[in-house]
Amino acid sequence: MVWFEIKKIFSRTGNKIALLLLAALLSLTCFLTVGSVEYVDEQGESASGIEAARHLREDKNQWAGEITEEVLLKVLQRDAEINASEEYLSKDVQENNKAYAKKQGFSDIRDMLNHAFTPFREYDYYRVDSLTAKEAARFYEQRVVVLMDWLNSDEAKDRYSEEEKNFIITKYRELQTPLYYEYADGWKAFAEYAPTIIMLTVLILAFPIAGVFANEFQCRAESIFFSARLGRNKAVRSKIYAGIWIITGIYWTVIFWYSAVVLGILGTDGAECAIQTSLGGWKSFYHITNLQNYFLIVGGGYLGSLFILTLVMFLSARTHSMVLPVTVPFILLFLPSFLSNLPVLSEVLGLWPDQLLQMGQTVCMFHLYQVGNKVVGAVPIIMILYPVLTCVLLPLLYRIYSRTEVK
Amino acid sequence: MELKMDDLTKEFGKFTAVDHISLTMTNGVYGLLGINGAGKTTLMRMLCTLLRPTVGNIYCNGRDIFEMDSEYRKLLGYLPQEFGFYPEFTVQDYLLYIAALKGIRPAVARKRVRELLEKVGLAKAAGKKMKKLSGGMKRRAGIAQAMLNDPKILILDEPTAGLDPNERIRFRNLISELSEERLVLLSTHIVSDVEYIANEIWLMGEGTILHRGSVEEIIASMPENVWECSVKKDQVAAYMRNYKISNMKTEPEGAALRIISRDRPAESAKRAEASLEDVFLYYFGENAKSEAEEIG
Ligand SMILES: Nc1ncnc2c1ncn2[C@@H]1O[C@H](COP(=O)(O)OP(=O)(O)OP(=O)(O)O)[C@@H](O)[C@H]1O
Ligand SMILES: [Mg+2]
Repeated sequence: MVWFEIKKIFSRTGNKIALLLLAALLSLTCFLTVGSVEYVDEQGESASGIEAARHLREDKNQWAGEITEEVLLKVLQRDAEINASEEYLSKDVQENNKAYAKKQGFSDIRDMLNHAFTPFREYDYYRVDSLTAKEAARFYEQRVVVLMDWLNSDEAKDRYSEEEKNFIITKYRELQTPLYYEYADGWKAFAEYAPTIIMLTVLILAFPIAGVFANEFQCRAESIFFSARLGRNKAVRSKIYAGIWIITGIYWTVIFWYSAVVLGILGTDGAECAIQTSLGGWKSFYHITNLQNYFLIVGGGYLGSLFILTLVMFLSARTHSMVLPVTVPFILLFLPSFLSNLPVLSEVLGLWPDQLLQMGQTVCMFHLYQVGNKVVGAVPIIMILYPVLTCVLLPLLYRIYSRTEVK
Repeated sequence: MELKMDDLTKEFGKFTAVDHISLTMTNGVYGLLGINGAGKTTLMRMLCTLLRPTVGNIYCNGRDIFEMDSEYRKLLGYLPQEFGFYPEFTVQDYLLYIAALKGIRPAVARKRVRELLEKVGLAKAAGKKMKKLSGGMKRRAGIAQAMLNDPKILILDEPTAGLDPNERIRFRNLISELSEERLVLLSTHIVSDVEYIANEIWLMGEGTILHRGSVEEIIASMPENVWECSVKKDQVAAYMRNYKISNMKTEPEGAALRIISRDRPAESAKRAEASLEDVFLYYFGENAKSEAEEIG
């Protein structure tokens, strides 16, 4: 019966088009993700793709290894040398690009240094250029110092309780140093663009998923459905299974192809590097590797999709139509960007379901929640909260649909 | 098989669609005859567990059907008045799906679907998509799905609506054939649909059963007589005003009227035998008439 339900959904032209659209958007996202990793060659020309990724990997892996004081000093030295070069000082952009080409190999370490020595909420690309060797020696300590300065600033002072402040500071101090570095642009690009494709998947899947429960009414087949022997028990369960199958099957197919293409082209090196070795992850208080981050992204994405699309099923079972159910994911995913400047809502938005669809970003957020004197970050909360809510919704969905009256 | 309605009532807000009906049905064909809005569909939906009664209960062999739940629906076949199909399914797939909904094992379902397609004359259309079927073919597919589980209780809501006269007769025969050993409740506002096949007729109006009995009993229940006479053109209007006219045939000189009246309406009028159509007209008056004309 589950099979019939799935067939019912995908026999509809609209849903077939939705799948084609998703496939097209997947290709586009793959293209953009791969294209986001650029290599600048000696002539100052940028390129992207398999070859570019290979060159970039070669360049960056010359700096592979633990980021010790020694390495940092070498970076400062190389940076200064290049800054003094003709190409760098030239007014010609092409010449400047040639200079950049030489900095590429240590650009990630350079980014980390910039972060470490500029205030928490700022980023100064040229900070490294004026950094002294003595300062660079305090690299890892600086991460904590910058954080503490921020926590004492007007912006953050009242935002966090003492326990919460201690929590992040303790977390920061727990970071294992020195950090191990190597080329990891495959994982980084994946983390950056994964939310796009995951959100698109959810938004598009809302259409077929809303149909699972609404189509009996759209086809006006509900009288026969509910007067059939199993129409109020097993058939409803079959619909739920069909919905979960569709979500699971399509979500993981999309993730499989996206991972295969992006990591296949950009490479899986750097799986064991901490996310702190990247521009985005430096500030994160979740100390995880790129590989763990990957699993968090795809796993969180799945749990989030499951929750949002279960809600879609629930609403379509309740309203007997598709209109509201397909708009709800849009509202859920776009509402936070409208409300994000309201500080009051910050705590709520930190636990909003969209956070699950963009775990790569969520792990870099500073949403903290305190229960008694125990402090937790948003990640463990939403990883538990939404599966629980999904498990609560499913029996409600069953109940509401199996008690439908045909008027 | 015994289906018992006890004080069955359905209210929609302030409006009472089915009004305290208490009746018992056993095997046989019941013809539920009533004009638009009489409450036929509402009554049937309750009998199919699609709607919960506001007041009252329905018992199947003494047990509440809503408590029996799927056990009751196992006995049930239902052809709704208005219904749709999954447009992209073929007739065969559609029936196999409904068979699954009815809990019929796939191997059995396959055989049953083949038999029924043969029986309702859709064998050749088995591979056609539902959206490509004509109105009559859809009704046939509808009756086939109702029969899949060999129901002991068959509820057909206006099964002949929208069919041409030939098709209607064929359909009537099909129903008559299928009605053996079952309890069949068939609603219609077309008298001829049930006149010959129903063991018992129920006349329904405004949510209640006004009269019930065999065709003969229903006819006998009418306290007035039926007359036939020819009248001149200029008199037609006056007769129409003063009498219930069950039929009018235009003639060169005027019109031949079939009049329902206690007393002889004109010198030349002859007594005629009352038909079910006359009775329907007598009870439901003008409303019924406009429909009778519409049907032609
Ligand atoms: N869901 C509903 N909400 C409100 N009123 C309703 C509803 N369903 C039916 N009714 C009303 O109940 C009355 C009976 O409707 P029902 O459909 O049972 O009549 P019917 O005898 O089947 O008529 P028809 O011959 O036109 O099919 C009508 O007046 C209708 O407007
Ligand atoms: Mg009706």
